[in-house]
Amino acid sequence: MGKLLTADFLKIKRKGLWLLTLIGPFGVVALQMVNYGVRKDYLLQQSEDDWGYYLLNVHSFTPLAIVLGIAILTSFIASIENETNAWKQLIALPVSKLTVYLSKFTLLAILLFFSSTLLMFFTMGYGLFLELGDTVPYMELAKYSYFPAFAALPILALQLWIASVSHNQGIPITVGIFGVIFAYSSYLLPDWMIWKWPSLMNQWNQPMINVLLGVGIGFLLYIIGMIDFARRDVK
Amino acid sequence: MEYIVQTQNLSKSFGKEQAVSNLNLQIRKGEIYGFLGPNGAGKTTTIRMLLGLMKPSSGTIKIFEKNITKDRIQILAKIGSLVENPSYYPHLTAYENLEALRKILGVSKTRIDEVLEIVRLKEVAHKKVKGFSLGMKQRLGIAASLLHSPELLILDEPTNGLDPSGIIEIRNLIKRLPEEYGMTIIISSHLLSEIDQMATQVGIVSKGKLIFQDSIEAMRRFAQPKVTFKVNNGEKGWRFLLANGIKADYQNGVIFLEECSDEKVAHIVQVLVQEGISVFRVEEEKRSLEDIFLQMTMGEQGK
Ligand SMILES: Nc1ncnc2c1ncn2[C@@H]1O[C@H](COP(=O)(O)OP(=O)(O)O)[C@@H](O)[C@H]1O
Ligand SMILES: [Mg+2]
Repeated sequence: MGKLLTADFLKIKRKGLWLLTLIGPFGVVALQMVNYGVRKDYLLQQSEDDWGYYLLNVHSFTPLAIVLGIAILTSFIASIENETNAWKQLIALPVSKLTVYLSKFTLLAILLFFSSTLLMFFTMGYGLFLELGDTVPYMELAKYSYFPAFAALPILALQLWIASVSHNQGIPITVGIFGVIFAYSSYLLPDWMIWKWPSLMNQWNQPMINVLLGVGIGFLLYIIGMIDFARRDVK
Repeated sequence: MEYIVQTQNLSKSFGKEQAVSNLNLQIRKGEIYGFLGPNGAGKTTTIRMLLGLMKPSSGTIKIFEKNITKDRIQILAKIGSLVENPSYYPHLTAYENLEALRKILGVSKTRIDEVLEIVRLKEVAHKKVKGFSLGMKQRLGIAASLLHSPELLILDEPTNGLDPSGIIEIRNLIKRLPEEYGMTIIISSHLLSEIDQMATQVGIVSKGKLIFQDSIEAMRRFAQPKVTFKVNNGEKGWRFLLANGIKADYQNGVIFLEECSDEKVAHIVQVLVQEGISVFRVEEEKRSLEDIFLQMTMGEQGK
């Protein structure tokens, strides 16, 4: 598994994936730079808790960035193997198909959480720059950075599954586009839709539920995808 | 007899289509096994099953005396392969492509230079594969298959789409391997001429069935020249010959014999002339291996 993962990291070289993991969180914070740049005084009047209000503002774009990011990352990573059908070369090596799949998933999860970490630092950096108050709410900051990523694990597992078994790469891209549309309209979606989860919204107002569901269902979808991937003939 | 590869009633169907049916391959150590058959005969499907990329619909595969479904990883550790079009990562250099595989195989870094040397890609090692010619990509694929010094090398149409010089180059490379490294090689092709000069054993598939499996010499024996006699009255001449105890065949107005020494030709001419038949032409018709191959596969297709 370690060997496969280092190979997978080598394969994403020059593919711009690291840049993407940087652009995503940067974009989310940059939107608030515009927002606060234009009407900082007005925004600071909206709430007693300036940090809390700022975090909510940042978070309003995080789910969209994550869902879009996952769609792009998974299809890039699958395209690396699909382009010249390198799956057949990879799977004819003395490795188990389950580990091949696990390695891809791990790679994606690492990129996703790396992106979340960047989001946390960017959010904190700009928050400090705005001088929102002396006590930085570190717990809330971490929560708004990592919870959406955990809640998005089912989307990651689903997109990876579709991208690695589809002969037609239009299918995962279509699913990705619908996912982005769903994420954009999270507040309209019923609670059971996985695309709503990164928004951390639910009828009980308990973000933790989305996190636990994300990890649980994410794991389940991962297992299903892995078994399906291993079961199929390699074209 | 110990076989490196042995399949028993190996079959694969895609829906209703039977792509491979009841294949019994037997491949001994140190052979260069030419796996021949027209396009669509089922060569790639068979090779995919040998590599565990596809599951057989029925039948068993034993490689190194082990079952591929049970001990796939152990078996694959000793196999190098190149299936159909070469696979590569175009955005990486040749070296990086091999490095990605090397990491998984866990062999030493020096192997990369060694295999690049073997396929003569050292000068372009640090160029992106995107810009490589098909022949270079094909050679990179062979380099990749050699990385872990496999005991068995499986190459599926490695010369497909190459120009004649590329074909010769790959052929020379493949011929060296069993001698220098003690490898067993399976190489598939739809053109007999391509493997005629390197294979020691031949297996011919047509429509998913194995219709011939033996040494290349045995196959050459099929390619004995045939002698034809054009005469003024073929049928009458043929009867005289039979009456004189000469086993000849008759078809479309000509008399012909499969194996014919010079003395026999002289004797036949003498008999014919004595019986008052005019001999117009005596010709030797050489049949190439390619003709034999075509005839075998056509015969099967006619059924
Ligand atoms: N994945 C597949 N799905 C459906 N049919 C296939 C598949 N792969 C091969 N076939 C069919 O099986 C037959 C044998 O194909 P193949 O093994 O590629 O032949 P060859 O390599 O000898 O040219 C062909 O008729 C082909 O159309
Ligand atoms: Mg083929």
